[in-house]
Amino acid sequence: MSAVMATISEDKMGAVHAKPAQRDEGMRLGFRLTLPAQILVLFISAFPLLMQLYISVTDWSPLSGVGWWNAWEMWNSFANYTDLAADTRFWSALQRTAIVMLVCVPAEFLLGLALATLFADDFPGKRIFYSILLMPMMVVPAVAGYMFFMLFQSGGPVNDILSRIVGMPVTIAWLSDPNLALIAVMIADIWQWTPLMFLILLAGLVGVPDDQMKAATLLGASAWQRFTTIVLPKMKTIIIIALAIRVIENFKIFDTLYIMTGGGPGVATETISVYIYKVTTQDLIWGYVAAIALAILIVLSIVAVYAMRRMAKAGEVPA
Amino acid sequence: MSAIHLKNLTKSFGDFRALKAMDLEIADGEFMALLGPSGCGKSTTMNMIAGMEEPTSGKILFGERDMAGVPMGRRGVGFVFQNYAIFTHMTVRQNLAYGPRMRGAAKAEIDRRVDAIAEMLQLSPLLDRKADRLSVNILQRVAIGRSAIMEPAIFLLDEPLSNVDAAFRAVMRTELKQLQRQFRQTMVYVTHDQLEAMTMADRIAVMDHGVLQQVGTPLEVYNNPANVFVARFIGAPGMNLLRGKPAESDRGLVIDLGPLGITPPLSDELAFSVRAARAEVFYGFRPEHIALAERGLSMPVSFVERIGARTIVHLGEGESAVKAVFENHVGLSVGQTAIVAPPASSVRVFDATTGLAVRAG
Repeated sequence: MSAVMATISEDKMGAVHAKPAQRDEGMRLGFRLTLPAQILVLFISAFPLLMQLYISVTDWSPLSGVGWWNAWEMWNSFANYTDLAADTRFWSALQRTAIVMLVCVPAEFLLGLALATLFADDFPGKRIFYSILLMPMMVVPAVAGYMFFMLFQSGGPVNDILSRIVGMPVTIAWLSDPNLALIAVMIADIWQWTPLMFLILLAGLVGVPDDQMKAATLLGASAWQRFTTIVLPKMKTIIIIALAIRVIENFKIFDTLYIMTGGGPGVATETISVYIYKVTTQDLIWGYVAAIALAILIVLSIVAVYAMRRMAKAGEVPA
Repeated sequence: MSAIHLKNLTKSFGDFRALKAMDLEIADGEFMALLGPSGCGKSTTMNMIAGMEEPTSGKILFGERDMAGVPMGRRGVGFVFQNYAIFTHMTVRQNLAYGPRMRGAAKAEIDRRVDAIAEMLQLSPLLDRKADRLSVNILQRVAIGRSAIMEPAIFLLDEPLSNVDAAFRAVMRTELKQLQRQFRQTMVYVTHDQLEAMTMADRIAVMDHGVLQQVGTPLEVYNNPANVFVARFIGAPGMNLLRGKPAESDRGLVIDLGPLGITPPLSDELAFSVRAARAEVFYGFRPEHIALAERGLSMPVSFVERIGARTIVHLGEGESAVKAVFENHVGLSVGQTAIVAPPASSVRVFDATTGLAVRAG
């Protein structure tokens, strides 16, 4: 407010200082012009968030017989959050999600980077391979789920190929073994999302200035040295973006997995999304669901903020 | 230090022949400019010397050593790119240290060399600056320093001044020339700007359409162009060329320029060679050598360009257009008729069919 006062008084002192006032005027006009959009954004993101926060401190459920706006009648302080802290099924789901993420994202990153490096140069048939490579990404996740569900049946193609390689019948029960089911789910995720990683990283790779690469070569840098000293530092921002996208998406892994295993056998592949889905649709304790979702939102926000900070830092040095 | 010898060097891209049988010897420690319009093959030549491109045929020798199959990192060549190709994600120090670091030099050794080169190029106070926020003249010095630290035998510069504004170019030219004196390396400098070539180079190789047109000192190519292309290309504006036939007159051999009349007589030495050739010729003279005279070519003034220090007067039209450069106070205006005569000593004659210069005998 004092800043506004300052610009006004300055304005009165002479026309020479008209500029800050003009900028102020522009800001006000801009605010008015963007107001409808801002209200829309408020309803899309802020309103559900506040509603969720509100429900998460109650025992409200769709069966409680009152509308959600009357949920205060079922105020339970922070019981949902204390329950959550003690919920072992939640914690093991979280742990499982973390394992999937720690395997899938690095695998997708390394495969994507290797493929991108390959595709940065020309080779015969590049365009065809490029299209084929991007196809998994276009498959509807639910369909991909059915595909892998079929592939990993004990009489399915995966076992069939394995038996041809080994030379004797292989009947691995992929989806009913607790450990193998998790592996199968991770293979499906890597298959589907490596192309996205590849695409983003290729865009970054192509953006590395050619002459700087040549300069490095002329100064005696080997291919590996060029990669570590020029390519990787130049791609830092884009790598962070790619990893952030995949970490956040992978954390929410659901559709493919749910169709392949339904979270089973038992809870062997129950990730956080599957767990929330089950609690929502089977247990119907929505107050608790809201608390879980909020906790996860906080975790993911921390990841996103960290990634954006790193990006801003890397952004200080545009490639 | 090292001499460069290009032998019958040819480069084709598919059906397009970018460079046709180029022969050129660049002496040890010489500053050679490759000069020509875009697409003349100068950059291709440079890239082949650096090893970025393989020649289709022909040889490149550094001293006695054949460079065929030697990868670009092992040729001992320093290269300064058109936009300098500075590693923008590094500091000036890291840029300078890059070469030795990649070759696995010891930390102390690297520091010593970086400090020495930075001292020499007056980069010491800037060593810890990020390289993405430097002005062009600093970038140029970093680019040169980064190559020079490897102590290359040969320095290649690919139009390093083309991104610099005109006023600053003069400063950079001087700086480059001084640096070359310091380093005493063989330098090959690619440019399309004749002013850069003229002011810096020991010798100039003029190229056009993948063919080497002439090699000589700046004054040689200016005074005695080997052919019509060089005559037109060198000089600003280039040499005036008027088509005509040699004819005898009572004052000696003259050129009959048709509707423009006849020229003043040629010098005796030149007349001797032109008589021997007896073909249709181009009568050539520099715009800056023209003087107003009592007798000579009488031509209408079609346009007057005043460019400050001098005035360019356009005379005649079409095929027989001539440009003349005068001091600023020349009193000519459009519509007037000027009688101009180039002094006999500055006249050059070219064979109209081959385009080659007819040398004074």
